[in-house]
Amino acid sequence: MKTLTLPKARLDFLVSVLQQFGEIHGPVAQGDRFVFRRLRRWSDARLDYTRTILPLKKYFLPPRERLFRYRRGEGYVADTTDLERRIVLFGVHACDIYGLNILDQVFGGRYPDPYYQTRRRQVAVVGIDCTPDEHCFCRSMRADVVTRGFDLFLQDLGDRYLTFVGTALGDDMVLATEGLFQPVTRDDVEDYKRRSADRERMFRLEAEIRDLPEIFEMEYGSRLWDELGERCLGCGACSMVCPTCYCFDVADEVALGSTDGARDRVWDSCLFASHAAVSGGENFRASRASRIKFRFYHKQRGFVAEYGRPSCVGCGRCLDVCPAGIDMVEIIAGLREVDHAAAQ
Amino acid sequence: MTTAPRILVIDDDDDFVQSLRALLEREGYAVLHAPDGQEGVLQARRTRPDLIVVDVMMQERTEGFFVVQELRRVPELAGTPIFVVSAVYERTPEFDVPPASDWMAHDGFFPKPIDATSLLDAVRTALATRSHADTQGDHR
Repeated sequence: MKTLTLPKARLDFLVSVLQQFGEIHGPVAQGDRFVFRRLRRWSDARLDYTRTILPLKKYFLPPRERLFRYRRGEGYVADTTDLERRIVLFGVHACDIYGLNILDQVFGGRYPDPYYQTRRRQVAVVGIDCTPDEHCFCRSMRADVVTRGFDLFLQDLGDRYLTFVGTALGDDMVLATEGLFQPVTRDDVEDYKRRSADRERMFRLEAEIRDLPEIFEMEYGSRLWDELGERCLGCGACSMVCPTCYCFDVADEVALGSTDGARDRVWDSCLFASHAAVSGGENFRASRASRIKFRFYHKQRGFVAEYGRPSCVGCGRCLDVCPAGIDMVEIIAGLREVDHAAAQ
Repeated sequence: MTTAPRILVIDDDDDFVQSLRALLEREGYAVLHAPDGQEGVLQARRTRPDLIVVDVMMQERTEGFFVVQELRRVPELAGTPIFVVSAVYERTPEFDVPPASDWMAHDGFFPKPIDATSLLDAVRTALATRSHADTQGDHR
C-alpha cells in the first residue's frame, strides 16, 4: 500500500481539492453529539468527534426509501432519486469502515442489492484515526485498524498525517492535489509506531471474543437471556445506530380504489415485536428475551459462521444509546463467567 | 426597458468591494454584495444574479472553494458564470493549488490586484454568451 505524509496545516486544501470527487460529507456537531453531514465550510468539520449518532449505513440504506412506483398500464418505475450522487465521506473512523466492509458483503453477496450497490459506487471514503473513549471496544472486535474499504486513510502524527492510499481512486486524489503529499521518512515510520502503541494503551473496554461462537452455542439456554428480556424495552435503538444492522421492512403504499402505488423500504429491527410475526397470528420470537437473544446470536455467532467474523465492530453506539443500559461487553463477559453454582 | 445585469460580489474585503462596485456600476451593471460565503449562497439563490464574483480567502482561507462548489449545486444557477478572485496564490506560500484546477469549476480566475480591463472584457463576454444562450432557449 502506498504511504505518504500530509502536513496537517494543509488539510483544508486537501478537502477543497477532494470536492472534485464529490460532495464532502464529514462529522459535524449536533448539540453535544455528532452527525455525518455535508460540509458547507471547512470549519464545520469536527475531526475530534467520538462517534456519530447514526453510522454510515444511512448513506447506502436510508432509513426510508422509495424503491419504485407502479401504475396500471405503465408498469414499474424505479425511483433513482439521489442514487447517483457522488459523495466523499471524509473523516471516517476505522470501526465504521469495518462496518461498511461488512455491509458490502451482505448487500453485494449472493443477492446483490442494486440500490445499495449503485450508491456505494458513487461514494469515496477518507478515513481518519481516532482516540477511543469509554464506550469503544473496536480493538476487541479487531476493527481498530483497517486495511481496506477506504480510498485514503489519515493517521495522526501530530503536525502531519501519515496517509495510506487504499485504492486507485485514492491515488487519483493524491495526484489531483498536485504536490500536497510528501514521501514518508524514517521519522514518520517511527512516529507511526509510537502513535500506534500509545493508542493501543488508551482502550479502557475489553471483550474477549476468542471461542465466543462456541460459548454462545453452548449457552443457548442461559438464564442471562431471560434476564436481558426483562430489561430490554424492545425500542430497537441499538439496531438503528448499529453500523451493521441491516434489517429492513418493505411495504406497499396504495391509495384506496386507485390503480397505482409505491413500494417503500424502511429500517426494521429484530427487537421489534412484529419482526418475526407472520400471517395467521404466529410470531416466532414473541418474547423480548427471544428477540434480544436472536440479535446477539446473529452478531456474534451467526455472522461468524457465514462470513468468518462477528458483525459487531465495537463502535460503542449501542452502549451509548440503550435506555436500559444493556451493554454488549458486559453480556460477553457474563456469558464467559463460570457459573460455580451450576457446576456443582 | 432593459434592466441592468446584476453581478453578485462575495467578498469580505470592503475596500475591494467598494472599488469593484464603482468599476462595475460605471459600466452599467447593478452590483449586489455578500460579505461571506454563507450569505453569498443565500443571496445567489434568492436573487439569481447574472454573474457571480467569489473571493477565495474570507473568514476561512478555503471558504471560496466551498462557495463555488455550493453554487454549482444550485439548479437555478446552472449556467451562471462564476469568477474567482484571490490574492492568496501570491501571498500564502503553502497555498499552491493551481487556480486553473478543474475542481474549482469556475469560469474565470483573476488574481488581486485585478486588472480592470481584463475583468470587464471577461464580464462582457460571459454575459453576452449567457444572454445568447437564454435567447436560444426562448426560441426552442
